[in-house]
Amino acid sequence: MAQPLAPAGLPARPLRPSRLSLRAGRRLWLLFFLGPATLLFALFMTYPILSALAFSFYGWEGIGRRGFVGLANFVRLFATFPYSQLLANAFWHNVLVFILTMLVQNITALGLALLLARGPWGTKVYRVIFFLPVTLSLVIVGFLWALFLNPIFGIVNKLLAEIGAAALGRAWLGDPQTALIALILVNAWRWVGFPTIVFLAGINAVPDEYLEAARIDGAGEWQTIRHVIFPLLAPAVTIIVLLTFIGSFNWFELPYVMQGVAGPPNRATDVLSLFFYRLAFGEVDTGLQDIGIGSAIAVLMFVLLVAVSAVAAVLLRRREVEMA
Amino acid sequence: MSDARRLSWQPLIQFVLVANAVLVLAPMLIMGLSAFKTTREIFQNPFGWPAVWRLENFSRVWVEARFALYFRNSVIVTAAAILIILALGAMAGYALGRFRFKGNDLLYLYFLSGLMLPIRLGIIPLFILMRDLRLLDTLWSLILIYAASGLPSAVFILTGFFRTLPTDLDSAARIDGAGEWLIFRRVMLPLVRPALVIVLIYNVIPIWNDFFFPLVFIQSDRLKTLPLGMTAFFGQYYTDWAVLFAGLTLAALPVITLYVLLSQHFIRGLTAGAVKG
Amino acid sequence: MLLLLVPFYPGAASGQGSVKLTFWSWRAEDKWAYDKMIQVFQQKNPGITVEFIPFKQTEYNTILSTALTGGKGPDIIHLRAYGGLETFTAPGYIAALDYETVPELKNFSLTIMEGAKGRKDGKIYGVPFASQTIVIYYNKKLFAQAGVTVPKTWDQFLGIMKTLKDKGILPLANGGKEGWTLEVLSGAILPNFYGGSTFFEAVTRGQTSFKDPAYTGALAKLLELRPYMNPNFMGVDYATMQQLFLNEQAAMFIGGSWEIGFFRAQNKNLDFDVFASPPVKAGTIPWVSSFNDGNYGINAKTPYMEQAKKFIRFTATREFGQMFADMLAQNSAVPGVVIKDPVLKHVQEMNRKATPYIMLVGFRWQAPTGSTLLQNALQAMMAGQKTPEQVGEEVTRGLSAWVDAFRGR
Repeated sequence: MAQPLAPAGLPARPLRPSRLSLRAGRRLWLLFFLGPATLLFALFMTYPILSALAFSFYGWEGIGRRGFVGLANFVRLFATFPYSQLLANAFWHNVLVFILTMLVQNITALGLALLLARGPWGTKVYRVIFFLPVTLSLVIVGFLWALFLNPIFGIVNKLLAEIGAAALGRAWLGDPQTALIALILVNAWRWVGFPTIVFLAGINAVPDEYLEAARIDGAGEWQTIRHVIFPLLAPAVTIIVLLTFIGSFNWFELPYVMQGVAGPPNRATDVLSLFFYRLAFGEVDTGLQDIGIGSAIAVLMFVLLVAVSAVAAVLLRRREVEMA
Repeated sequence: MSDARRLSWQPLIQFVLVANAVLVLAPMLIMGLSAFKTTREIFQNPFGWPAVWRLENFSRVWVEARFALYFRNSVIVTAAAILIILALGAMAGYALGRFRFKGNDLLYLYFLSGLMLPIRLGIIPLFILMRDLRLLDTLWSLILIYAASGLPSAVFILTGFFRTLPTDLDSAARIDGAGEWLIFRRVMLPLVRPALVIVLIYNVIPIWNDFFFPLVFIQSDRLKTLPLGMTAFFGQYYTDWAVLFAGLTLAALPVITLYVLLSQHFIRGLTAGAVKG
Repeated sequence: MLLLLVPFYPGAASGQGSVKLTFWSWRAEDKWAYDKMIQVFQQKNPGITVEFIPFKQTEYNTILSTALTGGKGPDIIHLRAYGGLETFTAPGYIAALDYETVPELKNFSLTIMEGAKGRKDGKIYGVPFASQTIVIYYNKKLFAQAGVTVPKTWDQFLGIMKTLKDKGILPLANGGKEGWTLEVLSGAILPNFYGGSTFFEAVTRGQTSFKDPAYTGALAKLLELRPYMNPNFMGVDYATMQQLFLNEQAAMFIGGSWEIGFFRAQNKNLDFDVFASPPVKAGTIPWVSSFNDGNYGINAKTPYMEQAKKFIRFTATREFGQMFADMLAQNSAVPGVVIKDPVLKHVQEMNRKATPYIMLVGFRWQAPTGSTLLQNALQAMMAGQKTPEQVGEEVTRGLSAWVDAFRGR
């Protein structure tokens, strides 16, 4: 008979004692099974991240490491012009991306999921369609929308003109006030199918008895959603919030493809990853790199992502348990 | 709620869903249609059918963008990485899920930590590492990184599955004198096939679509993967919109085809990693 | 199974017998011409093939930097001049040349050779390939249609643009989405207002900064152009700018002399010419910004040094220079080349009063470069978010990180 699935994080229940002849033999087998994966993971994931953190404490000349400089790179990053301003600017943009993505993308996804959960005509087809952009490469999505948003030749402004709203047409990607928002919307277009399906799975997982019980108690549709479905969606929400947070602060491909590595206009679309990339691999006009500051940015992003993810995971998990 | 109330909402619900479907599909349709037009036609008649269904844009992309070459590279890199992920992930998952030993939990959590680690932040040391290993500008640099970054999710999913298998299975095999490897290959592995499929589908799209690592590690044109190759191509033909659209369409075709054929699996697989069990 | 071996082959794999050199550049528009010139070289040098691989302008430096720091990269490199060259020569990525390897360099003009040398060690690192000038292109047919002629003063310039606009013709194709196009715009318009080379000397010597009212006053002139660009010009990128001018949807295009060949190749029927950005007072000869566009250099780590040197030497010959000028209509750096293109001849005449393209020539030596600072600040200014004074202040402040003379100004 099958062992129950162990909840994540808890140790596996002890299994029957090993029947292998030699203790050493068993160790060798463990080494064989675990070794390659651990080695690969340690070498190509753990080591680079730890190194990146260490690099930030050294001085650099191009890609050659010089002496230990303590916190000098951090001081430059946080306190000198223009880096401090660029950092604050980029960070703020990442925050905006997170907030707006949560509001636009994830709430839309929730709405769509609720609609699809009712099982209207064509649900299966809609599901397939909505998820389609998620499979597209961000390069394709970025280029496609950059062409569409071209203020003179692109279809967005042409469409607006055709429906008589030509005044609304603007330089979507060139206006410092609309550029970032345009990127966020394109990003949402590409990703919204994912949280939709996740929420849908969560909603469908709500046991019928609960819904039945609510109906018997006379609860209206909205009340059922609020008091029965939402609490049980907590795990799915946790995941989506975490993934959105990680995605927002790691955001690179879309702004790179649509706007270029400088984050124009006037850094209006600059985000931490672009800033990091520019400094690590060379500026647009000269190829000058500053690995010291680049590594400092990496440390900042690392601390941010891991710390907030961990804290958020704990907090949201607690809420999940309460709600259950 | 009453059936009557349910029915009255239907048209509105359908309207919203159809509108969203249009919003999703229209850009891709326009992309596809524009690929058959000339650049001038795209400017003048962006929404309509092509006057003449030209194929020359596609042939230009195929030849001048070396599409087949980039496609082949993507296939090699993705296939190799997935194979390594499945093989090593299954082995590790087997050991973690079915053997008790000191450090089992620690190792499991160690792998799990990789789920949250932003590997791209280690790009500078990775770059230096690859250079020192002489793997820079080779496909192996990509394969190894993708494999490493796919391991956390693979270990997570496969360990879980291995744990659910009955305990008596291997005892029976061991009594028969079977060695560890045979037990693993012949007895355990086939039983976790669904998990292997999930791991495969969960990883294949991000690896196939990845643009960042090829951008940093690959310099030679003949080693570029599809996303990177297309970017280089677009940089060259940036004024020729017809060719751009044809390139985009052609680049999107493999994934869209695969997706349409296996949509159910994809949806389940990609969300399985997100929704725990 | 054999497929698994494929990934092991590194980038610059040598063929059997024949040597293949890779040649990287940012000039995608010129590929067709380079392919032809390479063919001439290949015919003379059997056993050597050269592959010209262009990249997008705005990605080139980053991609090249990554490649070279990784010990990889092409064999032949299209390099920039001044600070853009220094970035790669200082760490030793570029092979030094001398008069023995390329004797033709002895005849090149001294000023041009300055742009091919390393600032620190004074060694020669490349063969200069062209000088560029920033001009104003105009569509002769559209001008005739609107009944306007080439303006001789700034006020006349504004006047003809108004006339064009009133007649329903977009006067200027320029846009602001790509910061460097705004820097080019400033290179065309500003010199007449800040006093050309006099100002350049003063600012590079540290006697003044970019906060100088001469400079900020010149910046303000750019704002006067805004009504005459497409209302959504901030979203107009380089490709769109070119399209507008090529499709005859705009009457003028402010850009560099490198466009001549491209315009001709893309639209043979385009009847265009150039004029210099007009001065304030009638009768004065206008300044034009000019610069050494770059050099052809050799990757210090190339395994094919002999063959690479042969190719580099070829690019310094009169034959190459003439082909370059004929096909691409650009000012070849090779001495003695005869300019046949009438528009390019105009440019040559304008160059008699050339002044250095200020940020590129004088302020790209370290980060943050004058160009980055100016480009971003200009985007803000043209979008209405900053004043010209603020632009001057920001540029000066940013540069003071490595330009000692600007500190405390």
